[in-house]
Amino acid sequence: MSEAVIKFKDFHFAYLNSEVVLHDINMEIRPGSFTVLAGHSGAGKTTLCKAMAGIIPHYYGGRYAGDVEVLGESTQGKKVADLAMDLGLMLEDYESQLVSLTAGEEIAFGLLNHGFNPDEVELRTKKALEDVGLPGRENYQLDELSGGQRQRLLLASLLAVHPKILILDEPVSAMDPQGALSLYKLLNKIYQEYKMTIVVVEHNINFVLPYVTDLVVVEEGRIAAQGAFATAAKQVYEQENLRHMLPALWQIKFNLEDKFHLSLGAWRSEDEGLAEISKKFERVVVER
Amino acid sequence: MKLTAFTQLIVVLAVTAWVFILPVQAVAIILALELALLLYIKHDRLTLAAIGALTIFTGMMILLQLLFRSPLNVALIGGLRMFVMTTAFLCLLAATRIQDIAQALVEKFHLPYEYAFMLTTALRFVPDFLVDSEATLDAQSCRGYSNRGNVFKRFFSYLAVVKPLVMRAVAKSDTLALSMELKGFGSNTYKNMKPQRLQMADYLVLLVTLILSTYSFWVGKI
Repeated sequence: MSEAVIKFKDFHFAYLNSEVVLHDINMEIRPGSFTVLAGHSGAGKTTLCKAMAGIIPHYYGGRYAGDVEVLGESTQGKKVADLAMDLGLMLEDYESQLVSLTAGEEIAFGLLNHGFNPDEVELRTKKALEDVGLPGRENYQLDELSGGQRQRLLLASLLAVHPKILILDEPVSAMDPQGALSLYKLLNKIYQEYKMTIVVVEHNINFVLPYVTDLVVVEEGRIAAQGAFATAAKQVYEQENLRHMLPALWQIKFNLEDKFHLSLGAWRSEDEGLAEISKKFERVVVER
Repeated sequence: MKLTAFTQLIVVLAVTAWVFILPVQAVAIILALELALLLYIKHDRLTLAAIGALTIFTGMMILLQLLFRSPLNVALIGGLRMFVMTTAFLCLLAATRIQDIAQALVEKFHLPYEYAFMLTTALRFVPDFLVDSEATLDAQSCRGYSNRGNVFKRFFSYLAVVKPLVMRAVAKSDTLALSMELKGFGSNTYKNMKPQRLQMADYLVLLVTLILSTYSFWVGKI
């Protein structure tokens, strides 16, 4: 396995005047993975994302121990903006992350700050808007865009700097299921095209099941499970209080495996599961 | 012909100075020109509403001066001067994007970039603030908020809306600050933008403004 793009080493963290919110985090994000970060509300997922982006502890302050490495370098002493060149972070309140008046300016903002020349900025802005399905919207005022389009715009502004890692904190929390599926489809397209590493905080893993490669589950500030999706999902299934976090399809799969002592594949869709079940049980019926 | 924000700012500043220097008849002519220009640039409902609001405000200023026992002609001339100055700024805002004004202020007037950015950011969050205030008003109405009663009662009950609204605004500003940090906001923001180069039209307008501003000096010499 090649070296992790994000590595937490014995990391502990507490916000100013608060209890410790992250305990002894040892975690690795593989390069090129599509990782889902799951956990109950208040488990520390957002804090973990902010630690990956170097915002914690440098921006908020607080007490910490251990280290976080991004692309082999410690985030300690690194400027948040410099880290953002390699790692794009979309916060849950993405609306407030937009700082400019028009779509084009929003994308150009980060690029200009990082010293790209105006011609390059123009090219990258155009490409980024095309990538997120908003071509030719450079001169649109932000209030002319819908909520979903604004989110895509922020995604475009992150993509424009060509980061190696993209982190999205609950990107579909305010969306209907159709919108959520469409955003993840877009994200997968970007993932395939840019060959980047993606980390998504998501409660409903059903949405990302077709694309996810790795899973990390956080429980009360500790890592409860991590690794390749199939392995980590098994770890989660074995902990009854976390079992409900798994996609319904995988809960069925593990149930069947337990009851019938089978070994089933890594189902990515209902059709896949149904096909395998039909095949296996047909055989069982024939054998009997 | 499109003038740069810098030229337009200079003209507005010049008009502001002329308002105090020129006789009242000339100021009235400037006002007529300004209104014609403003309605030529933009003649939507918002512009008319802005002119209306400005007229009411000017009337209030005149009344206030009269209350403080200023002579009528002084109050009227004072009101006229204020009206002309403000209309000049309205023309500027109607003709130029606020982003270009901010860039010109940093590039040419060396205004610290933080203040220039504040101009655009304030404008960016106005629609969001309106949406938030509506949502908060709805939420508090569900909890029994009512704006009935006398002025004082309404004022104090409105605090129930203001408090959560302020808290939301603070939370948003925190995210905004974090976002700016992530995007590397700093002096580069304006430095790396395409510079606003002056064209022939700009030089011509600046020259005319200079001649008009120093007219009395020239006339005296000749």
